[in-house]
Amino acid sequence: MYSRIIRNDISKSKLITLTTAIFVAAAAMLVSLAAILIVNLSGALDTLMTQAQTPHFMQMHSGDVDTERLTTFAEQNSNVDQFQVLEFLNMDGSQIRLGAHSLVNSVQDNGFSTQSEKFDYLLDLDGQIIDISDGELYVPINYLKDQTVGVGDKAVIGGKEFTVTGFLRDSQMNSMLSSSKRFLISKNDYDEIKNLGSVEYLIEFRLKDLSALGAFETAYAAAGLEANGPTITYPLFKMINALSDGIMIAVILLVSALVVAIAFLCIRFTLLAKIEDDYREIGVMKALGLRVSDIRKLYLAKYAAIAAVGSILGFALSFLFKGKLLENIRLYMGESENASFATALGVIGVLLVFLAILAYVNGVLRRFRTISAAEAVRFGISRDKSTGAKRFCLHRNRLLNTNVFLGIKDVLARKRLYATMLVVLVFSVFIMIVPQNLHNTIASSSFIQYMGIGSYDLRLDIQQTDHLSEKAAEIVRVMSTDPAITQYAALTTKTFKIKTEKGTEENIKVELGDHSVFPIEYSKGRVPVAEDEIALSVLNADELGKKVGDAIILVIKGQETQFTVSGIYSDITNGGKTAKAIFKDDAADVMWYVICVELVNAAHIDETIAKYADSYAYAKVSGIDEFVAQTFGSTISSVRQASHVSIAVALIIAVLVTLLFMKMLIAKDRYSIAVMKALGHTDSDITVQYISRSVFILIAGIVLGTLLANTLGERLAGAMISSFGASTFHFAVNPLSAYLLNPLLMIGSVLIATILGSLGAGRIQISDNIKE
Amino acid sequence: MKRMIIGEHIVKSFGEGDEKHHVLDGVSLEIREGEFVAVMGPSGSGKSTLMFALSGTDRINEGKVVFEGRNLAEASENELSDLRRTQMGFVFQQPTMLKNLNILDNIILPSMRDHRKKRVEIVEKARALMKRVGIAGLEQRDITQVSGGQLQRAGICRALMNSPRVIFGDEPTGALNSISAQEIMELLGEINADGTAVMLVTHDAMVAARTERILFMRDGKIASELKLPRYRGADLDERIEKVNEKMREIGV
Repeated sequence: MYSRIIRNDISKSKLITLTTAIFVAAAAMLVSLAAILIVNLSGALDTLMTQAQTPHFMQMHSGDVDTERLTTFAEQNSNVDQFQVLEFLNMDGSQIRLGAHSLVNSVQDNGFSTQSEKFDYLLDLDGQIIDISDGELYVPINYLKDQTVGVGDKAVIGGKEFTVTGFLRDSQMNSMLSSSKRFLISKNDYDEIKNLGSVEYLIEFRLKDLSALGAFETAYAAAGLEANGPTITYPLFKMINALSDGIMIAVILLVSALVVAIAFLCIRFTLLAKIEDDYREIGVMKALGLRVSDIRKLYLAKYAAIAAVGSILGFALSFLFKGKLLENIRLYMGESENASFATALGVIGVLLVFLAILAYVNGVLRRFRTISAAEAVRFGISRDKSTGAKRFCLHRNRLLNTNVFLGIKDVLARKRLYATMLVVLVFSVFIMIVPQNLHNTIASSSFIQYMGIGSYDLRLDIQQTDHLSEKAAEIVRVMSTDPAITQYAALTTKTFKIKTEKGTEENIKVELGDHSVFPIEYSKGRVPVAEDEIALSVLNADELGKKVGDAIILVIKGQETQFTVSGIYSDITNGGKTAKAIFKDDAADVMWYVICVELVNAAHIDETIAKYADSYAYAKVSGIDEFVAQTFGSTISSVRQASHVSIAVALIIAVLVTLLFMKMLIAKDRYSIAVMKALGHTDSDITVQYISRSVFILIAGIVLGTLLANTLGERLAGAMISSFGASTFHFAVNPLSAYLLNPLLMIGSVLIATILGSLGAGRIQISDNIKE
Repeated sequence: MKRMIIGEHIVKSFGEGDEKHHVLDGVSLEIREGEFVAVMGPSGSGKSTLMFALSGTDRINEGKVVFEGRNLAEASENELSDLRRTQMGFVFQQPTMLKNLNILDNIILPSMRDHRKKRVEIVEKARALMKRVGIAGLEQRDITQVSGGQLQRAGICRALMNSPRVIFGDEPTGALNSISAQEIMELLGEINADGTAVMLVTHDAMVAARTERILFMRDGKIASELKLPRYRGADLDERIEKVNEKMREIGV
């Protein structure tokens, strides 16, 4: 009997059934996709880091290395499982030519390595450890992604010719967010070009037990070993690798949560309308002695059928789309070993959606209990009183056209009914604006201020060269007389010892100089202005357990000096563990110089870059836009893609729901429409009334949605961005698209849907609906 | 008096092929200016359908309806709407009011469509009409807050707002108790006396007896017709008896 009732019911309300099924399918698809992506990302990442045997602790170091002392330390430390020192041959981009492209503009530190012997292997695209011969070159995977070069192409490095034999995955430096890229060449070739660049050492450890990492870090710092460069640990490697795809998954999760909510709203709306339609029948069934649970089953059966079909369809669709979304993960990290687990989790996700729908329908059907059999049979309609808007009267209406008035009056009088559509529109606007604002924010030049980089036009990096200070002073002297430059700041990074709470000593890199010239965003506190103030990066502050106002002790020239923490900022540069202060020091070794420059006319940036790059070959000169584009480029473009998809999704949702809503409304209102037509209102009068309703709700929806997007959405996006290490965050809004184009698109779509949806009003026959 | 509505061989049918059923099967009639007409007949005889056809509310399949010299079959939907709004008034059995509007707003609704008159004048006229039919003071009430009789009076006010040439009533007293029904009929009589034609569909002999001309319908055709002198407030029982007698005679 159930199947016949369901079939009859569905054939009577095809559009409504179809729309509900589409939303359920979309919700199921997104949830399943998110589950599959999460499992694949973590699985592929694990596989990559296991196969490559990523180091647990890595200290980069430029300068001499005392291998013997390090070996002794490694042997004596009970935590160490394996230890090695790798060489990384840093080479200027101008020395590297891949196929037709030179890497002269690359902001990456491109360098060369040989395959390591113990761990930290460079892998080919099958996940195998690469065995390389003379004359061959393996290129980092990102140059495959951006199609700089292909297999078989010629590459020229420092005048020596290589053949690109393949591409490599580097579990340390794969991500564009990590600033270095390793090329793989043979031992003989390496020796041949070694004098063309500067060697940096990667001092790497694998521990017996990763949980001992904290203790090991302390021990390493306390031993006073080589530390002239960033320190990076296993968890940070993992995070940098997961970030780009992680953001995509977060966006999908956000959208799927909203689509699930919209599916619920659709169900609620159609179900309530259906109950109202069937009010008398339900009353009769109750009067005949049927139990509420029996009646409920009749309705539940239909939605169970729709939800089942939608869920299966959604799951199938997720298989269709997962290939496209997994492409990036597969390219950078390879296959996941637990693919079958991913499918299982996808199924579980879809099942959860299905069960949630059933539970929800059951909840809505609870109101059967409140239907009085006597009242239902006698009156046939639920006597919901029109509420509010009593003062909003036609006979006092001066401003509005009568049809517009009637439309708005109806919305005000039946607030609960229209609330559903309002909420859906608010969600749609939210989905439309948030990813777009996120994209704008990431793409804006001020975003890097959240990342620990000030807002300047170009930067000069000087490192791994002799007489650093003299060279830097020379450049600064030239800049001070350069009319093209408005202001500059030279920042020196040095390593100091810091006393921890436990009394042990650790290394901390402190950037010295005037930090107020190009301020960054501080998540707490402010820039250091006094000699005894210091600002910490979020990672450092967390690790040291310090808040703004706390005291910390640095060892400077062998003396313990107390500093006050003036602020905490986000930083992704140099492994995320940095500090800023303004005190003078000439004792400690300089690790590197950064000179930040603001130009009089940013349009002339290329000339300035060329001028300084030519004059000072030892300095790496890069424009900040180029730096941002290359570092965040892939993240920005995937967020942009997501924002375009979101706009399309939002419009589709708005159109579908409006169409559905209007059809249902007209079915519900056929009596009032017949009355108005009998009284001489034309079809276009009625259409205008329905358009006024839509536009009224739409405007409220756009206003609310925009407000919500800029408050709650900003916070949500902030949570997402905080995975970068940025904890304060404000949207950079493009007013033209966010406040004009998007609303216009939305209004256009909803208007078309309203007109299509209210066409049915013209077919309503007066005589069919007013017959006594 | 001048002919206002002319119906010629009106056919209205539902269904297709073998199942085709003529609800109006070649009806011809005339309504004159200021006339007071009732249409009687059993359920399904086509009396409401006839009213919908004559008012241009429903399209007919064959024949023609001419209203004030205009062939309704040739008029567009919008022209028909304009005609209904400006020349005709409707009173139905159930008070067909919009739930969201109060009594006054419901009454002025058809007049607010056109901006020929000022809002203040429209409201003034509505108040005057409400006073005349005895529901002054109910302007701000919700339609659920007044009695059926009061609602029907409001419906009559609404029908009179645009000073129509004719008022169509489909069982206007059908949902009322007998006292309210009598009052409504007296009101319609007064309106008719002022010169507005009134055409009522009813199965109630008491209602029909107050009109001047009664059409009896059976199986989609006008079976018979009864003419009475203008009702002046006396001899109602006698008139009812005449109507009943006619009904017995033709067997409806």
